[in-house]
Amino acid sequence: MRLCKSLIAIFLALISNCLSAQDTLWIVRGEWTHIPDSVQAIRFNSSADWSGINATLSRASDESTSLVVVNTDSLSHTWKLHVDEEEEWAIEAFDTLTFEIPALPIGTYLFGLTDEIGHVLGASGQLQVGLGVEFPLFHWNLGDWSMQRMASANMGVPVAWEEPYVPEQFTINERTYPATVDDPEALVAMSLGDTCWISIANHGFMDHVFHFHGFHVTMVSSTHHPERVGWSKDTVPIRMGEGLVVQLVANQMGMYPVHNHNLIAVTNAGFYPGGMITQIHVMP
Amino acid sequence: MNQFRMCLMICAIGGASLCSGQMAPPQLFSGMEGYTFLPDGTAIPIWGYGWVADGYITLPGPLLEYTQDEFVQLNFTNPSPESHTIHLHGLDVDQANDGVPATSFFVVTGQEATYEFTADYPGTFLYHCHVTTTLHLTMGMYGMILVNRPDMTLFEGGPSYAENAPILFSDLAIETNVDAVQSFPFHDIRPDVFMVNGVSGNQLEQPDHIIDFEPGEPIALRLGSMAYSLMRLDFPSELNATCYMSDGRPLPEPFDVEEMDIFPGERFTVMIEPVEGWDGYIGCEFWNIPDQELDGEQSIHVRDKSLSVGEWSELIAPLGYPNPTRSSISWNGPASVSVFDVSGVLVFQGPLDQGQLHVNGWSTGMYTAIFPDGNRSRFSVIH
Repeated sequence: MRLCKSLIAIFLALISNCLSAQDTLWIVRGEWTHIPDSVQAIRFNSSADWSGINATLSRASDESTSLVVVNTDSLSHTWKLHVDEEEEWAIEAFDTLTFEIPALPIGTYLFGLTDEIGHVLGASGQLQVGLGVEFPLFHWNLGDWSMQRMASANMGVPVAWEEPYVPEQFTINERTYPATVDDPEALVAMSLGDTCWISIANHGFMDHVFHFHGFHVTMVSSTHHPERVGWSKDTVPIRMGEGLVVQLVANQMGMYPVHNHNLIAVTNAGFYPGGMITQIHVMP
Repeated sequence: MNQFRMCLMICAIGGASLCSGQMAPPQLFSGMEGYTFLPDGTAIPIWGYGWVADGYITLPGPLLEYTQDEFVQLNFTNPSPESHTIHLHGLDVDQANDGVPATSFFVVTGQEATYEFTADYPGTFLYHCHVTTTLHLTMGMYGMILVNRPDMTLFEGGPSYAENAPILFSDLAIETNVDAVQSFPFHDIRPDVFMVNGVSGNQLEQPDHIIDFEPGEPIALRLGSMAYSLMRLDFPSELNATCYMSDGRPLPEPFDVEEMDIFPGERFTVMIEPVEGWDGYIGCEFWNIPDQELDGEQSIHVRDKSLSVGEWSELIAPLGYPNPTRSSISWNGPASVSVFDVSGVLVFQGPLDQGQLHVNGWSTGMYTAIFPDGNRSRFSVIH
């Protein structure tokens, strides 16, 4: 019966795509093997096939569009697009829903599951609005992970939120350093004189702060600190739940690290170097 | 009766302060055998930087001051048993001078190196070791860099100020500093000492940590953080605090500030012009970032200069070295001394014994010595 419902959901999603070219996301549960402690996780994938990396959505600015979400998980979840409208949507197990994405200004926004299991297991991605048009775009989805919380959530055991939060893994696009520099979306590779934008979303349970070696970046947009647009920074806080965009001008050649300056987050299970580190490569 | 150990923290005598705008001496060194002292006199091991000419390391490292557009050659020598570097945080130096071992170079034991860069932008910057950064930084290998303009304006076309007040926040976990070898893993480090310019608690009431202002003369607070914690500062309205810069760049629009968050590695320049006669505090909260819990608090004392004791009005960075084997302190020159404890109580006044002050039997704690010519020295006695 579940298989049947799932097939129907996929069929409906395909029909929907054919009618309006809208994106579809699949909620999928699987084994996340990008970190040393392989764990069960939930992701938003761009197909029904499991991937440990959350998908990214892209939209033009100031246009409302639709999004189809297919839940292939055996649990019902709640879904939210983190914009001004704080509306949550329930999506039943093996069900398919179509959502309206409102017209939004240029920026990076977060979407994800908000129920405890879906949130802790990491189903969260970024919606890029009006990006990648003027300048090349890179993106960083930031995550911090407590293996204990994930194991509890996977087993359906309520998470002990009152206990101290001690995440062991810190990821960019669901990878830890050094795997981050193998990710063409996370490694910022540019030519001298070029300009790029970096779309950053903090999906974790804590604030993060990234330090750029070699460069200052200019704040293009921020969901939490719009008053900082135009600031030039080398150390950029990204609040829990924040989406922001920065502009980087490659004005000198070389290889430069970019990393979280909360130094617990540049470790893998406590061992340095790891976690939230990537690099900027500027070539002639 | 030499039954106790004594450590010294000798302040810069004769106004040879490195906080006062003097050009930086030419050579830093790194050390792994220093101490910092908690308000109760407990000695905590640190690693850090110091001037070769002084021969000891400090927490934080010496303030480095340069002038905008200056071509800087920062000489560095490493006599310590491990490799170290200097990362010039926020100065956007080229790859070769970036201080990251994997992309730049190590300075191994016994080697010297010179970091070169042009100080293009005025503002507040930091430096720290980038070798096994988690450990070396929490052990104390960090400091602040100021790039000033000769006309005492914050930036071209910016407001002018009368004085810089460098304020570097940091924290440490005693367990880690006491036994660095056993400090891993590092993801669960939880600092338990919360510092402003390397000191905490009632140490911040020592004269050289109080910001004395002259009414009508703005002070540029050079705020930076090397803490694991998120800093949350509270500026009373009487300070008339305005934020003009962040990370060594002017803000598009300055803004009045009552509360400010500073994340690890961030810097802000806040101008204050307190009302005449004001005597109060800037509240400094240290928040654990993963838990969002308040772990510690400190207060920075700001007061009208007319309310201060005149000879204690200068900002002087504590510079010193620990010496756990001696029971007396020696100075060259002065014949007599007045010594005050951390509460400002006079505990000794009289002649020195051939330049020596004998402290056998003194209570644990930090003391300030004032000499007839107005020069000062600080030292700590531990048992």
